[in-house]
Amino acid sequence: MIELRGIGKQFGGRALFAGLDLDLLPGKTTVIMGRSGSGKSTLLRMLNQLERHDAGTVRLGEIEIPAGLPHGEWVKRATALRRRTGMVFQGYHLFPHLCVLDNVTLAPRIVQGREREAAEARAMELLKLVGMQDAADRFPARLSGGESQRIAIARALATEPEVLLLDEPTSALDPGSTAEVVKVIGDLRDRGFTQAMVTHDPELGRRLADRVFEL
Amino acid sequence: MLRFLACLLLAAAAIAQIPLPQRYRDAGVVRWGSDAEGGAPFVYLDGQHPERGEIGFEVDLARELGTVLGVEFRRVQAPYEHLVQVLERGDCDLVLNGFEPTPVRRALVRFSRPYYIFQQQLSVGPAVEGVRGLQDLVGKRVGVLGQSQSHQVLLEHPGIEVVLYESNVTAYEEVVNGRNAASLADLPIARALRPLFPKLRDVGEPFGAFYYAMAVRRGEPELQSALDAAVGVLFANGTLERIYRRWDLWVPEEAKLGDAAVAETFARDIEERGPAPIDWGSAMQLLGLGALRTVGISVIAFALAVLLGLAVALLRLHGPRPLQWVALGYVELFRGTPILVQMLLLYYGLGQVPGLSMSAEVAGILGLALNYAAYEAEIYRGALSAIPRGQREASQALGLSTAQSLRHVIVPQALRLSLAPSTNDFIALFKDSSIVMVITVVELTKQYQMLANASGRFILLGLVTSGLYLLMSLPLAYLARRFERSLDRDHA
Repeated sequence: MIELRGIGKQFGGRALFAGLDLDLLPGKTTVIMGRSGSGKSTLLRMLNQLERHDAGTVRLGEIEIPAGLPHGEWVKRATALRRRTGMVFQGYHLFPHLCVLDNVTLAPRIVQGREREAAEARAMELLKLVGMQDAADRFPARLSGGESQRIAIARALATEPEVLLLDEPTSALDPGSTAEVVKVIGDLRDRGFTQAMVTHDPELGRRLADRVFEL
Repeated sequence: MLRFLACLLLAAAAIAQIPLPQRYRDAGVVRWGSDAEGGAPFVYLDGQHPERGEIGFEVDLARELGTVLGVEFRRVQAPYEHLVQVLERGDCDLVLNGFEPTPVRRALVRFSRPYYIFQQQLSVGPAVEGVRGLQDLVGKRVGVLGQSQSHQVLLEHPGIEVVLYESNVTAYEEVVNGRNAASLADLPIARALRPLFPKLRDVGEPFGAFYYAMAVRRGEPELQSALDAAVGVLFANGTLERIYRRWDLWVPEEAKLGDAAVAETFARDIEERGPAPIDWGSAMQLLGLGALRTVGISVIAFALAVLLGLAVALLRLHGPRPLQWVALGYVELFRGTPILVQMLLLYYGLGQVPGLSMSAEVAGILGLALNYAAYEAEIYRGALSAIPRGQREASQALGLSTAQSLRHVIVPQALRLSLAPSTNDFIALFKDSSIVMVITVVELTKQYQMLANASGRFILLGLVTSGLYLLMSLPLAYLARRFERSLDRDHA
């Protein structure tokens, strides 16, 4: 699973991390906690290279990304890495011009070249998994926060990633919606899906974590 | 010395004899309208000494008329095709500009006695064979100055494809570069421009006998009488011959200027007639055809502008550094220079480069597309930058490449944001498309100008033309609004 080795990151002239090691254990949910400004989101975003690191190596299977790669080579490896991971953002970032079903099938069809029918059948299963099977034809602007985040999870799972990265998935949600989303994440943990989650809510972190990584 | 004194006396007598209307005496100025663009030998800028101002045989003539009438003749610049309207508006007091008393013009303004008799000269390009006269040009393109005597002559020869220009220089250029087979021009113009076009070949003898006369407003017979008398004095004392010989324009035909029959050619025919009759059926048909052409040009040009503009915007934001500069340069170049200049360069400029010459329609569409693409590029750049960063990150996290993320996520959203400003631009382009008339394309506005000039019905035809533009742009605006609303329903 994803390994970080000796990771360093400069941020605004000071070292955010230096010599940091982290292993995501297969089938486990790792919760990254820390006070604000400690760089927990930056660390999570390094796992799929939305942030580049300045020192050390990120590895997933045979994909190895040492710091300081030339841009073209980095883009190639980072894209390969991202194709094996899924990510859920605090602000959902659903595609507003696509309906729910198209949000979920976009990457399987474009990135993995799946047929529309196959992609849609799989998308319906995922929507069912997150309890949103009736929302397939709706557009993101008509969804509540909890609904949006559950669809974002379905979208992230649609490419069959090996690991799911969750960046403060419930911070923008009201308590009712938080419960819906937490249930989905808890179900995934119980089925042995590898996850890494950032949260600033210690109680939620302890509830979902197999393992806590404190920054 | 004696002759000089005699001349002075004669001039003094003339001044005393010719009763110029009081308001001109009081002002001490008579303003004569003319167009110095492509105006050799009438009135033009000397290319070698532009600092000396306009020269030409009519500049000399105006000076002599001023002397005889005891006032200053001051030149007013106006487009040749609109001299009648400029005169009627009162921006000048008379037109002196190789102005032929065509029936249409005679219905609108009053003409003086002729001051010059001119003939027609046909010229062909270097590659044109077997043309001896107008009869050999059926089915061929012949360029001519719009609203001129040569234009009238061509209209009497059905089957010739007449192409109108706003100057004789461009009409000749189009013969040299092979777009047109021939050009017909007034002899003085043909002679004056010959040194500029050594490749042109004059065919046949000069023919016809037509007159240049000055035009004044209908309600000013006294000014006309004064000009008639002044021309008479200048002919009688040899001044006209002296001027015409200096400009190599004196032909034996000019001797007839003194004939009473010639002098009175236009004197009898000035009763009020009002605007010429107009065939509304064919006028509407012509305007309809012009409108179709306007729609065709606008739609194709805008489609190209959208594609090119999007490409430029994407290059500017996501291209490699050198291409970003190229894209920026493109936008600044095409936004920062007048579309009129771009259009003229594209058509006449490239027309001089072998292999790059294109038809007027193609050049017009391309010119509009290139210009509007710069504006569309800025709209799209703004819209692309306005798409939240999270959209890009979400698609990256899903493994989409930059190109895939642009194509499936960013650009579709940006195009929606651009819809309103882009529609606005389309309506603007739709109206701006009339600029293609400067490169001889006859679209709706040009058709209107031609019909209005031919009939004098500027207001009525103008209202009809405006109505046609509205009829075309309103549904467009309506469709765009509806499309926007339907997007809002989905996404808000």
